[in-house]
Amino acid sequence: MSFRDHLIAAGIGADDPFWEALEGGEFRLPRCAGCRRWTWPAHWRCGACGSWDFDWTLLPPKGTVYSWTRTWYAFDRTRERGGDLPYVVVLVEIDGADGARVMGVLAGDAAPLKIGTVVTGTILPPVEKSKGYPSIVWTLA
Amino acid sequence: MTSPSTSPLRGATAVVGIGQTPLYKRGSSPDREMKLCLRAIVAACEDAGLSPADVDGFVSYGSERNEGQKLMPALGTKELRFGALIWGHGGGIPGALGLAAAAVVSGQAEVVAVYRSLAEASGARLRVAVAQDDTAAQYLVNGIDGPVQICALRSQRMLEADGVPASTMFALAQAAYHHAQNNPAAAAYGRPFDETIYDQSRFVAEPYRLYDCSRESDGGVAVIMTSAARAADLAQPPAYLLSAPTGAAAGWGPLEENHRPYSSSGFGAVARRLWRESGYGPADVDVAQIYENATGMGVGAILDHGFCTAEEAGGFITFENLIAPGGRLPVNTSGGNLAEGFVHGMNLVTEAVRQIRGTSVNQVPGARLSLMTGGPGDSVVSSALLGGGDTL
Repeated sequence: MSFRDHLIAAGIGADDPFWEALEGGEFRLPRCAGCRRWTWPAHWRCGACGSWDFDWTLLPPKGTVYSWTRTWYAFDRTRERGGDLPYVVVLVEIDGADGARVMGVLAGDAAPLKIGTVVTGTILPPVEKSKGYPSIVWTLA
Repeated sequence: MTSPSTSPLRGATAVVGIGQTPLYKRGSSPDREMKLCLRAIVAACEDAGLSPADVDGFVSYGSERNEGQKLMPALGTKELRFGALIWGHGGGIPGALGLAAAAVVSGQAEVVAVYRSLAEASGARLRVAVAQDDTAAQYLVNGIDGPVQICALRSQRMLEADGVPASTMFALAQAAYHHAQNNPAAAAYGRPFDETIYDQSRFVAEPYRLYDCSRESDGGVAVIMTSAARAADLAQPPAYLLSAPTGAAAGWGPLEENHRPYSSSGFGAVARRLWRESGYGPADVDVAQIYENATGMGVGAILDHGFCTAEEAGGFITFENLIAPGGRLPVNTSGGNLAEGFVHGMNLVTEAVRQIRGTSVNQVPGARLSLMTGGPGDSVVSSALLGGGDTL
């Protein structure tokens, strides 16, 4: 199973290398090849320097919780997770990436969860629950 | 007046007619979506004392499906001269008034209908229609379906990191339900509401409980705009459009939760333009319709427009301050999206106009300046300030 077999048409599509990297077991975010800014979410051109080229840079999947929500309702388009209710999604500010934030489900015990809590990520292969995409789940460090 | 304004749109147009169908529980409208749309536009024309055939401009926002050219045979339209959408979702409503005003002032159209119509007959949940299939993989892969959960992430940050008390979210809901008790057309009319009911309601996406979330409705809502000169000869007291900016500053947009400042509702730059173009400030506003897709985002809109700071929020955003007739900032006086009904916020525009006319079921005595803020947290947002004749 690959995300390419289940492409979600929404969004602008510039983050394909993000998903490709996750499928290969790596966590990568884009940096502008011209001015070296972290340019997340991915886009086609760096609005700061005009470069069209990006380096998808390997990062350790580590960061701090920027915000979070615990979902108690099986929404239409994420019904695959209905059996996991309630589940927590964290918004993680990635270490060393100029404040870039990435979302993901929190695995394991959420009891001490607070903004600022340190988390580490684990990459999961594409499964139905993540709509045939690879994903990164987070655990409290 | 805080400072003189040089905006060519200021006071150049007015809302002269309002029309609104009953707001039905989602999926229960006896009429199809386009018929609701037509009923709203025709009602707004009759209210204004204009013929529906005179409408030559059609403006809406986001995912509106009832383009003007589809309505022409039913309205008897002589010539469609202007038709356009504001991008985004509910964020664009007040901006749609601004777009209509721009068309009138530039001579592209004379009588413009601004409208929204929804009916869930197709079977798709309206919130899916709202999202227009533009929810990116970064969300859906991670169990985030759409607006409620996204807004929940932002409000959690506002509460936990900015220190805005959760009591502000309850206050907004309580004021909406309070006002709905005087509005027989409201979904929450006759339905009791108090802190116990709120606290015992189920969570949808923390920090939001059921009563923090807007309720989807079937319905059609429209207003008619024309030039200030023509407005003077029509049936209703004009509600002059003083300013209605749309936009997003750098750091805002469809940024997959990388917005800065994150816990904002996105109005910073728009609110500054609103006050500058209108020549008024938050202290001048008599009554406000605050689009609340969820309570916390409405709280963010109040902060973004400068009514209070995060530090002051607990003292300012209280039930007593938010209710008509005597609160410091009465909001959502028909019940709002939470308690009247939710036609992507368009019913807040008609209520903003009623306050200028003096015909609200929860009238703020002598209201002269009436604010309407658009869908908070949307990738582009907008706000509108309407005024009576003595505010020009």
